[in-house]
Amino acid sequence: MVETGHFALVLAFALSLVQTLVPLIGARTGNQRLMAVGGPVTVTGFALTALSFAALAGAYASSDFSVASVWENSHSLQPLIYKITGTWGNHEGSMLLWVLILTFFGALVAVFGSNLPATLRANVLAVQGAIGATFFLFILATSNPFIRLNPAPIEGRDLNPVLQDLGLAIHPPLLYLGYVGFSICFSFSVAALIEGRIDASWARWVRPWTLVAWMFLTGGIAMGSYWAYYELGWGGFWFWDPVENASFMPWLAGTALLHSAIVMEKRSALKIWTLLLAILTFSLSLLGTFLVRSGVLTSVHAFATDPTRGIFILCILTLFIGGSLALFALRASRLTAGGLFHPISREGALVLNNLFLTTATATVLVGTLYPLAVEALSAGKISVGAPFFNLTFGPLMVPLLVVVPFGPLLAWKRGDLYAVAQRLMAAFAAALLAMLVTGLFIDGASVFAALGVGLAFWLVCGALTDLAVKSGFGNVSPATMLRRFAGLPRSVFGTALAHLGLGLTTLGIVGTLCFGTEKILSMHAGESVELSGHTLRFEGLYPAQGPNYSEDRGRFSLIGADGGIAAEITSAKRFFPVRQTTTTESGIETIGFSQLYLSLGDEGTDGSVVVRLWWKPLVTLIWGGALVMMAGAAMSLFDRRLRVGAPSRRRKPTAAMPSAGLP
Amino acid sequence: MLFWVIAAILTLGASLAVLLPLTGGGKGASSSNDHDLEVYRDQLAELERDASRGLIQPAEAEEARAEIARRVLRLGDVGQANTCQVDVPGTRQPSRATRLVATSAVLLVPLLSWGLYSQLGSPDLPSQPLAERLAKNPADSSVDELVARAEAHLAANPSDGRGWDVLAPIYLRLQRFSDAVTAYRNAIRLDGDTAAREAGLGEAIANAAGGIVSADAQSAFEQALKLDPANQKAAFYLAMALAQEGRLAEATAAWQKMLGLLPPDSPWRGAVQQALAEAANRSVASGEPAKGPDAAAVDAASSMAPQDRQAMIDTMVAGLDEKLRQNPRDTEGWMRLIRSYVVLGKADQAREALHRGIAVFGADSEEAKKFTAFAASLGLTATE
Repeated sequence: MVETGHFALVLAFALSLVQTLVPLIGARTGNQRLMAVGGPVTVTGFALTALSFAALAGAYASSDFSVASVWENSHSLQPLIYKITGTWGNHEGSMLLWVLILTFFGALVAVFGSNLPATLRANVLAVQGAIGATFFLFILATSNPFIRLNPAPIEGRDLNPVLQDLGLAIHPPLLYLGYVGFSICFSFSVAALIEGRIDASWARWVRPWTLVAWMFLTGGIAMGSYWAYYELGWGGFWFWDPVENASFMPWLAGTALLHSAIVMEKRSALKIWTLLLAILTFSLSLLGTFLVRSGVLTSVHAFATDPTRGIFILCILTLFIGGSLALFALRASRLTAGGLFHPISREGALVLNNLFLTTATATVLVGTLYPLAVEALSAGKISVGAPFFNLTFGPLMVPLLVVVPFGPLLAWKRGDLYAVAQRLMAAFAAALLAMLVTGLFIDGASVFAALGVGLAFWLVCGALTDLAVKSGFGNVSPATMLRRFAGLPRSVFGTALAHLGLGLTTLGIVGTLCFGTEKILSMHAGESVELSGHTLRFEGLYPAQGPNYSEDRGRFSLIGADGGIAAEITSAKRFFPVRQTTTTESGIETIGFSQLYLSLGDEGTDGSVVVRLWWKPLVTLIWGGALVMMAGAAMSLFDRRLRVGAPSRRRKPTAAMPSAGLP
Repeated sequence: MLFWVIAAILTLGASLAVLLPLTGGGKGASSSNDHDLEVYRDQLAELERDASRGLIQPAEAEEARAEIARRVLRLGDVGQANTCQVDVPGTRQPSRATRLVATSAVLLVPLLSWGLYSQLGSPDLPSQPLAERLAKNPADSSVDELVARAEAHLAANPSDGRGWDVLAPIYLRLQRFSDAVTAYRNAIRLDGDTAAREAGLGEAIANAAGGIVSADAQSAFEQALKLDPANQKAAFYLAMALAQEGRLAEATAAWQKMLGLLPPDSPWRGAVQQALAEAANRSVASGEPAKGPDAAAVDAASSMAPQDRQAMIDTMVAGLDEKLRQNPRDTEGWMRLIRSYVVLGKADQAREALHRGIAVFGADSEEAKKFTAFAASLGLTATE
């Protein structure tokens, strides 16, 4: 079975070469038959990659230590779920997951792309095939997960204990769905550049793909943030760590792309800019893959000593970014520019959004790459941390957030700012009230807190205002309003939900940063401690045995208002003997939107233990807001305008089908 | 065999995916203008929906309608020029170039995949799921597999003394010394002590401590000799203990006595002779393999007068001591220093080194526990 997977991987590589060359030649020469090869080959390539991935997952699940990657990253005592998630908890397996998702998206274009012009479809599949081919080659040449050991060791070296968590099951697949989803936008852009024209259906297709990728990337980043929050035991939700930035940059650029794609679709304007953004977004995804996968982040010098993988990804990076930008430079002048608009208009607002987001992306890029450059050029190692980003990224984001509610209310082409401001009066009043309440009753000392809460309420109420205005609030009878509300296009709900989610996330961040409290103390069993009005009693440490670890569980009771036990919280220190590593399992109790977070420190000689306690008000809104944003994207995906039919005289038969069932 | 069949089927499927569309009849395709028109038609419909819902003002709607209409008109102009280009070639007979591309594409798939796989793959190596490996006939299993099976068996039946007894010497041979200690202790606890088990236990403890015959090991060897005065392993290691304490003369005497009693074909003969040679060389039998004084220094030491040699050893230990004062976070270093003092017979200084090492890492740290356990294994306690 393992070797079948290996063979399927090699076969998928061969098919990806065919997928690159044949449709491309077909599109150049206008040959229908050659172009038609793209679809079935893409689908078959996906099926083979899936088979390969299944074989590897099977080897992990059955602890087949004759596979080198399994031996390095698995252990027979791990619970089955972590054996399976361990498949992508390492370099080789995660790269295989990467191409699996890449071919999956390619197959989706092949299957659902029958309403695309034939040459565009052929070119898109060819570019997608080229990306696939380079990554297949990368895997086979430098990171083959199917390398075998003979004789096979009897026991593996265990998965990194930090990764032995459900977060690993969700976070990387979501993140990769996001990263790789942008590859479709990239392929569409390069295909348009190859053809030298942008079809009307181009924008129709790019927007939903951007939405899909953006939705998954949002979920992936939020999940990663929550995972780091509860698993690392430091209570932080964002560290401005280069790995996090690597996923955040495509998100920022993708958000800009999402907005400029709307302008392009509705008004045929900003065509060239959208194309460039699509290229940049996927380039940033590739850059993220390079940063994380080459090991360059741990140390530039460590990377220089074993550079095979890094150099290879760097070549891929240069090929695709350099190639697509060169193509852009050559062909962009041939593309026709679109419609005109007044600066004060929906288009104008979206351009403003793009300006801020791309500048923010550049800021994060500089903050991430600058330390690497310094380390590469001199021996010194500097770290660019939160202070840099707070000073640069923060001031860029605040004005953007302030203007967010204006955008959806402005009319296309020529807007009336004064009328929009009038409609937003209620939202503004609500934000002002929230600021006053915060400043007067909760925390008078911090201006930042009051402003932050005000901003969050402004965003939330602005999103609600958008819905209210569009359903005719105040102008029509309640019954009509309700009917109009139900009949609003899904994309209007999508916009409102996404902006609402942004407000909730802002509220969560402001709440946690401004009103959070923490305590570090040494506790004996039976002692109690109070934090922000919550009383906790330490019940003691109890040893316990897990499948592949032993742990000391610290049990805590949350004392309710009546003096009884309202909840039990457990935090543990786990020791994994195979890797000789200790991890901290934090104990979290959610109260409303807020959380009580505690983690165990070192044990004292007198039986006491160091306990770190945090009260994190509204912290769940950070990730809840991201979920609402995802819901908005999903809502927008179901908008009926995305279901454009093929030219109506007769639908082209899909050539993809015959081979789909073969392997 | 099955693998080759599967591989052949996969290759066939992949090749067909390339071949079938190429041989299919040329289907009349729609031009990209038709697609654009479809999109514009849809945009108009959407505009009407928005207008009827009152989402946009009538004037704006009129303007937008005019804009879309302009796009449709422009499409008509361009369409006149280039609609035909796309449609015609598909219906033509395939040209020579097309056939060339098609043939090479179809050939590429099997040739590249089989060629590359023959370089990368291990087709003869079957999958080896762990459960299957543990269930197969023991005669076909490797030592590691047998050990894993025995471990699984003992995890289920921890009171099987015979199982521990069988496993313990295997652990010893595999150099898994701490596992061997546990196994011997379990065997002795469950099935009682024999000379062989006690001597094995002593050997395991000594090897786990890097060759130092600690108090624990010594008492195990003594117990073994009590049970069987002729136990050679115990005799050998007890003499080694004497040598490590610096009582070289007594050790030499013990080994010589042993040599006299050994049968000529005894496997111990070589070991004893080597130990005697070392004792004669008067090297410091400190039993530390790693990071000791380098070979030249030891050579120099062995050719020196006894008091000079002692001075040199003292200097080396003092050097280590000094290095640890300047750079104290060195776990290995502390253990080496403690052991050196124990070997030199300076119990007070060993104890002081232990306290200092513990102080560096904190009394409740992992390292402190390790130091205490290590010192205890050398027969040293934290207090008098």
